[in-house]
Amino acid sequence: MSIPIYTYDAVIVGAGLAGSTAARELEKSGKKVAVITKLHPLRSHSGAAQGGINAALSHEDSIELHEFDTVKGSDYLADQDAVELMCQEAPKTIRWAERMGAAFSRNDNGTIAQRPFGGQSSPRACYAKDRTGLTLLQTVYEQALRDGVDFWDEWYAADIIYKDGAVSGVVAFNIRNQEKAIFNAKAVMFATGGYARSYKINSNAHANTGDGLSIVARHGLPLEDMEFVQFHPSGLSGNGVLISEAARGEGGKLLNSEGERFMERYAPNKMELASRDVVSRAIIQEIREGRGVGPRKDAVFIDLTHLGAELIMERLPELRDLAICFLGLDMIKEPILISATAHYSMGGIPVDKDGHARLNNTEFVEGFYAAGEVACVSVHGANRLGANSVLEALFFGRHVGKTMLKDIDGLTLHPASEEDADTMNAELEAILTSNGKERVPQLRNELQQSMTDNAGVFRTEELMVKQVALVKELRERFKDIRIDDKSKIFNTDLQEAIELGHMLDYSLFIVESALARKESRGAHYREDYTTRDDENFLLHTMAYMNKEGDISLEYMDVTLGKHEVQERTY
Amino acid sequence: MSMQAITTQQVTFNVFRFNSETDYLPYYKQITMEVTSEEVVLDILDRIKWEHDGSFSYRRSCRHGICGACAVKVNGKGVLACKERMNDMIGLFGTELTIDPVSSKHAIKDMVVDKKDFWDKHEAVEPYLISEIEEHPEMECYVTPMESEALLESDLCIQCGLCHYACPVIEINDAFLGPAAFAKAFRFNADVRDEGIDERIGIVNQPGAGIWDCVKCFECAEVCPKEVNPIEKITKLHNQTFERNDAIDNVATRHAVGFAHSIKKHGLLDEGELVRYSEGNIGVLKHVPVAIKMWKKGKIVMPWNMPKSDKLDEIKRLVKSSSTVKF
Ligand SMILES: Cc1cc2nc3c(=O)[nH]c(=O)nc-3n(C[C@H](O)[C@H](O)[C@H](O)COP(=O)(O)OP(=O)(O)OC[C@H]3O[C@@H](n4cnc5c(N)ncnc54)[C@H](O)[C@@H]3O)c2cc1C
Ligand code: SF4
Ligand code: SF4
Ligand code: FES
Repeated sequence: MSIPIYTYDAVIVGAGLAGSTAARELEKSGKKVAVITKLHPLRSHSGAAQGGINAALSHEDSIELHEFDTVKGSDYLADQDAVELMCQEAPKTIRWAERMGAAFSRNDNGTIAQRPFGGQSSPRACYAKDRTGLTLLQTVYEQALRDGVDFWDEWYAADIIYKDGAVSGVVAFNIRNQEKAIFNAKAVMFATGGYARSYKINSNAHANTGDGLSIVARHGLPLEDMEFVQFHPSGLSGNGVLISEAARGEGGKLLNSEGERFMERYAPNKMELASRDVVSRAIIQEIREGRGVGPRKDAVFIDLTHLGAELIMERLPELRDLAICFLGLDMIKEPILISATAHYSMGGIPVDKDGHARLNNTEFVEGFYAAGEVACVSVHGANRLGANSVLEALFFGRHVGKTMLKDIDGLTLHPASEEDADTMNAELEAILTSNGKERVPQLRNELQQSMTDNAGVFRTEELMVKQVALVKELRERFKDIRIDDKSKIFNTDLQEAIELGHMLDYSLFIVESALARKESRGAHYREDYTTRDDENFLLHTMAYMNKEGDISLEYMDVTLGKHEVQERTY
Repeated sequence: MSMQAITTQQVTFNVFRFNSETDYLPYYKQITMEVTSEEVVLDILDRIKWEHDGSFSYRRSCRHGICGACAVKVNGKGVLACKERMNDMIGLFGTELTIDPVSSKHAIKDMVVDKKDFWDKHEAVEPYLISEIEEHPEMECYVTPMESEALLESDLCIQCGLCHYACPVIEINDAFLGPAAFAKAFRFNADVRDEGIDERIGIVNQPGAGIWDCVKCFECAEVCPKEVNPIEKITKLHNQTFERNDAIDNVATRHAVGFAHSIKKHGLLDEGELVRYSEGNIGVLKHVPVAIKMWKKGKIVMPWNMPKSDKLDEIKRLVKSSSTVKF
């Protein structure tokens, strides 16, 4: 059966904050845009962001301070040109979202309210109760819909068309019935979100399987800083579901089994509001030293009882609900159980500050762009600050949309042909017909458990050498899978297998990059190299995969700026 | 989980199975599993797929109760799978549980339903802020906390569709926009920044499709996992319409006035009475199927059993505004 080829000015994969804002920007200027998304746009993970979005709005705060906190939080690995741009544009970006309809919480005088967050010098996180992402996602999607963007929802993007240094389209299939299509365009953007799903304990949606990264990497294109995975200090014990930083921002205290407020020992000034990597390590250290709580002794307490019922109900109602649902604990009456959870992906598709995807340290891929969590701009460096990533997705989504708009008239359309779907066809065929003995859930579980154990909050050479071998072995076993569902209708068995293939590939990037980075910086902590080594590693990792699936590493300079590299203490 | 030890018990699940490509009719498959006190319904769906049969299909993503993907029915009760504790389900229904899609009529594969009608209706109410968007604003619009409270949490709707597929009117009237769409219309009508209220009132005021065809069974309010309370929003839309003198004189509006009479008398809804007011005794026959359904669900209260509503003030306000319309 022949595969239809649809031609657009631009094709965007992903309909979270980044994808939807970019699409709206292009559509408003009269470009024909298709957005391909494996979830209905409103199901995108952006909607789960709870706590807030940063902007220096108030007179007590300043853009400079926001930049400084971001650069310091990043452990100086962020590119300062990109940080400057984002922080400068943050107030306008938030007010623009507000004008489009976002339902922010308000001060008595009607302005947007802000709350404190970790690693920040001033209360800077604008919020909508504890459902900030939900109101933002609804707003950008609604306005994109209003402007007539073509959303192809429940379509799975399986490949890009990449030839001679240029990307000219996306190959996808309809999850509902396996109908296939080629989307041919001058400009393609990836906004496919994060990759923390490769860890057992994580806060991410099931959909965050990092597809975009592996699709790109399989064409030999680089991935940047993949070793930097953020572990959030407060995931609910057992399943990692997130209790937003707002809980600490509003005054939550961390206690160990002895009732000690242990952050006094790790970050005497900032206490619970130190940067996330610092707090996560403190929690895991307490648990490792036997001061954990809960039925498995694998958690610590966060105590919010002193805030009182009224404040909790007003500012943290969703969080209270989550703890009641998953733990059976009411934070108004008792402390709840939390531990570190894999949460956010600093690394990703390398782009410049305007969203052009890099071919290598000096060149760019023609017609290819990325924004949001899948991209590495890098505004977060080795560790991102709370409430900066929703900002990144919202601001860079729009900004990269504008870049594409500028570029499009100068780009040429490379006409697609049916053969461009060959890789996808082969991948689907292989999974559907493979009659081996391995099961997808089993392999995925082994991958996730081992990533948490060997490439988690604390890392060593020994554990990671082991993990490289394990991921490679899992990749081999993956070739011998068998799935139960061979039908065409909503075949999530097939989809989960494709996604596992992606998770295996990008996990190898995480581990190989982490193994080679013999220092501790931000979220990447090596027990065998416990200090930061600016002389050798004030550099971005650029990792490439060859046809055999092996990874090679290069390094790229960090764009430094007015905020000088210093020691980082909280 | 709480501080106590984790407990387990054996539960038998009757799981709705259907593949529209290969099956002529749906069927139920029985699976017995050990269920722990830590688990939610989504964990069970995952385990059915991952441990028993990979072809079992359902939607899910966030597992935080915020993306709205995972709505299903357990023993007829609409739930968000990722936010419903198994212990609570067992407490309610015992250890034999039936899992169904939110609407078997719309099922395409197991728990997955074709939600096209839901999304079409969502789009039909112009679900976006209508105003000239300032693309590079120096300041936000000022909205006081009181003004933002006026949305009455309608912005918390996650489009899970539970109310939509639980609504008895949707089931018999394809044109009816339904509780989620109305809640959405209200969300923007109530926003001080919005300028589209006239347009949206025009849409929700239409006979057949609009708010007047709601039979006020409260099903939507009961099932909503986010406590959006759509029927409350529908009532507000009634008010907005009356306040603008836009209410059209037809069966449907009289329906609302019937509603008002019923309230005046009892302070609560008497659904049987209501239908009679709007169409006379002959018209009521048309509604017999709905009436029976509502009576079964305990929605039709016999006049002698009628308790006084604790929301009398709100309701009286509605009565007052509706009485300004001439018939
Ligand atoms: C629980 C939680 C709470 C958070 N809270 C905050 C917070 O308070 N503040 C903050 O700043 N950040 C927060 N974050 C981080 C922030 O939400 C994300 O980084 C951000 O929303 C990412 O947006 P995005 O547009 O890049 O991607 P997403 O919103 O994840 O969207 C990804 C899109 O890509 C699509 N997609 C992916 N793969 C494919 C494929 N193969 N084919 C087709 N489509 C595909 C998906 O369907 C989806 O539409 C939080 C994250 C989590 C997990
Ligand atoms: S109250 Fe109205 S909208 Fe809600 S379920 Fe009943 S008939 Fe439907
Ligand atoms: S109103 Fe409630 S039940 Fe209805 S779609 Fe919204 S969240 Fe779901
Ligand atoms: S999985 Fe998102 S609401 Fe349940």
